[in-house]
Amino acid sequence: MAFDLTVNGASHSVDADPETPLLWVIRDYLGLTGTKFSCGIAQCGACTVHVDGQPVRSCSFPASLAIGKSIKTIEGVSRDGNHPIQVAWKELDAPQCGYCQSGMIMSALALLAKIPQPTDADIDANLTNACRCSSYHRVRKAIHRAAELMKA
Amino acid sequence: MTQSRRDFLASSAAGAFVLGFWLPPRAARAGENVAPPHGAAWYEDPTAPEINAWIVIAPDDTVTIRIAQTELGQGVWTSNAMIVCEELQCDWSKVRSQYASANRDARESAPDWTLTVPGNGGTDPKGGGEPGFGNRARTGVAGIPDSVYRRMRTNAASSVKDGRYYLQLAGAEARERLLLAAAAVWKAPVGELVAKDGVITHRPSGRTTTYGKVAALAARTPHPNPKAIAIKSPDQWTLMGTEQKNRDVPMKVTGECVYSIDVRVPGMKWAAAKSCPVYGGDVKSYDFDAVRTMPGVRSAIRFPIPDPKLTRGHVFSGGVAVIADHWHQAKAALEQMPIEWSVPARNAAFNTANMQAALLAALDEPGTVRVNVGDVDAAFARAKKIVEATYSTPYLPRARMEPGNATVLVTDNRVDIWIGDQSPQETRFSAAQITGIPEADVYLHMCHLGGGFGRNGNGPQAEQAIMIANANRGTPIHLLWTREEDFIGTTYRAMGVARLRAALDADGWPVALEVRTGMQKDGFGPDASFDVASRYFVPSYRFSNHTTDFHVPVGTRRGVGQAAHEFYRESFMNELAHAAAKDPYRYRRELIARTSLPFKNDMIKALDIAAEMSGWGKPLPKGAARAIALEERGAETGGSATISAMVHTVSVSREGKVRLERVDVAHDQGFGLVNPLSVKKQIEGQITWFYNDAMHQAVHIVDGRVDENNFHRFPLSRIDEDPPEIDIRFFATGHWLIGMGHDRGTSVQSAIGDAVFQITGKRYRDLPYRQHDLSWS
Repeated sequence: MAFDLTVNGASHSVDADPETPLLWVIRDYLGLTGTKFSCGIAQCGACTVHVDGQPVRSCSFPASLAIGKSIKTIEGVSRDGNHPIQVAWKELDAPQCGYCQSGMIMSALALLAKIPQPTDADIDANLTNACRCSSYHRVRKAIHRAAELMKA
Repeated sequence: MTQSRRDFLASSAAGAFVLGFWLPPRAARAGENVAPPHGAAWYEDPTAPEINAWIVIAPDDTVTIRIAQTELGQGVWTSNAMIVCEELQCDWSKVRSQYASANRDARESAPDWTLTVPGNGGTDPKGGGEPGFGNRARTGVAGIPDSVYRRMRTNAASSVKDGRYYLQLAGAEARERLLLAAAAVWKAPVGELVAKDGVITHRPSGRTTTYGKVAALAARTPHPNPKAIAIKSPDQWTLMGTEQKNRDVPMKVTGECVYSIDVRVPGMKWAAAKSCPVYGGDVKSYDFDAVRTMPGVRSAIRFPIPDPKLTRGHVFSGGVAVIADHWHQAKAALEQMPIEWSVPARNAAFNTANMQAALLAALDEPGTVRVNVGDVDAAFARAKKIVEATYSTPYLPRARMEPGNATVLVTDNRVDIWIGDQSPQETRFSAAQITGIPEADVYLHMCHLGGGFGRNGNGPQAEQAIMIANANRGTPIHLLWTREEDFIGTTYRAMGVARLRAALDADGWPVALEVRTGMQKDGFGPDASFDVASRYFVPSYRFSNHTTDFHVPVGTRRGVGQAAHEFYRESFMNELAHAAAKDPYRYRRELIARTSLPFKNDMIKALDIAAEMSGWGKPLPKGAARAIALEERGAETGGSATISAMVHTVSVSREGKVRLERVDVAHDQGFGLVNPLSVKKQIEGQITWFYNDAMHQAVHIVDGRVDENNFHRFPLSRIDEDPPEIDIRFFATGHWLIGMGHDRGTSVQSAIGDAVFQITGKRYRDLPYRQHDLSWS
């Protein structure tokens, strides 16, 4: 059963059950492996992507709900790795193992779209992704830095 | 042949069915020359001749440095390359890291000139530390004695400690041979040449050349006496000791970094596995016919309990795997497939409550006395005051973010394994044992790991994948565990109990200390931080271990035994200080000053600096408190050691909500840190790691199985629990560090307990604190 998805601005025909979680369509059918699997129950946020600008946990989000919408994954953040959020992340050397960071960056991007100059309290309330290495200290600084860069 | 990932994605954007990463068909056939996709770092045969086993310099001056340890967030990808680059004197911006070949490590011996540790051990700045190479065996523990890369495994926070001197030697040997090659070209005495940033200059004439231009000749130019090459001492370092950003971070912010889970091989099928939830259990029956016709499903296979000889003696479970075109299809079929288990009755009878009771009962037995100094019983008989406390810690998994997985292709004469693995030689050994294919024909392609924390080599994901692939020869199989399965296929930090008793004199100083610790008999680190000496002075000291026999496989989780033991020790020191009505910082300081431990002055310095940084003694608002603790490893050795002290400023709201507000860290830098930035990141991360342990995490055993098996019931701290302020100050000491990737930040555990006591008057001694009512009025 084929259906069309728009990912990072390009349209793809996917030959899969539309109830397949979006994560697996992205990773296994479209070959975009930057988005990660970790808990499978929408707890950790490693699989976060944007659907029409909203962050969703794609491991528990049926692909059918994304049909006709615009999906953005980590691969779509920039062509060259130099989106201000990526620049900020590199400046702070934020990732450790890095496995959660695609989801972390997608959640942070959504936060910055909603609140361009977030306070620490805004970050605490909105960034609910889990990082087992606890890179949080640098992630927080990187979000503030990205906000600065995006303002400029 | 190779296509970059971006090209591939671009060219396939209109396609309907796309495999992600692409390996050319020859990959699985030809030698070891498996071309990695963009973003992967596994070993590639070089296109230019290597200078030595660690270094390849291309004509364009690009320097490839081979790394024998697995990058799992600790920064080894960068720190080990810095060590080589420091001596090589190449241009750091032209360095790229790549995994060393595990196969080569198995078939080649280390060069002679790397075998001698320079200097006089852990307290000699020209020394090489004290590498833990002794008695290595290929099964179960370590690797291959004196293999070319010396230590192709990643554990015990030792990648820098053990590797530094021979990585420095590798860089220095290559530099000297590059100079010899340039000298031969110029027909000049080598003594007239200098190298800097990859450029060789003939001083008298000012003539220059680059490493890339003479590398091919250098590769053919042996050094006449490599054993005479000296390495730099820390005062001569120029790159080491500076903060360097991690080389792989740019790949980690674009999603390009290839972890094991991202490996795609042509023709690959996916496997989902379910093993018996009670350790030691096995499959009685399963009904594949019930799911055979589900979409994408190919087959099912039963896998036995992995041979404990291949899993460090641990008994995991047998189970069933379903193989399908896509993993979500395999998982869906497995969830619906009826499976009956055969469970050993003894194992199914274990519950946390009866296990904890058994541990506490063991404390009343004589146990094994490890240390017995002075006359403990006599001292207790004349004590003015006796303080006793019993602490406990739960079973804890590592729960790294990347669930266990491996891709394996078995043919009749070769095995290929793509895996993030901290113990690649053990995995190669397992593959040879399971398939009957000679180990020389087992090729392991190392991937970055989505977290480590002691995980790999501590679970049977490789063995399961090899068994499944061996039954499907010719088809590459990617086994991926669900999160729930990851909680089963792992070893745990052993549940532990400790009873500490102290006899105090009239001034509140301890005259005797008795420590009894209990854990299951195969638990790791039973002696940690209590063996040899108590760290705090007592004239009479007795320490004993008390063991039980449980079925849960236990292994080396971050911090090993140290994490629990420092919780016991530092919590009790706080209790003694309060009982003596003395300041917990000054009480510790005095008791360390009274010892004759070799590094007592460093421990005192750590306490003093941390206290000063924190504003120790200055008033805090109601509902906030400070607590101090010592963290050390090797304080009794007189050799390598790592010493830190932390002051934690903690608030507890009236509703009982805890927040770690601020952490002041005084940390030993020994003779020098290789990459202080990575050290800071490790400290920051471990503070919240141990906050998690202290506040939230526990796995209970219910009818023999692990109960909490995903993140809704095994909570992970988020950014809102990360301390807003972490201040780290390094101080120089006269020894090499042991390592710092796993037992810093343990003090969060005792500190929160003491802050809760100071604020609420309630003393809790069993982790995690979340299970208690921490409110106050």
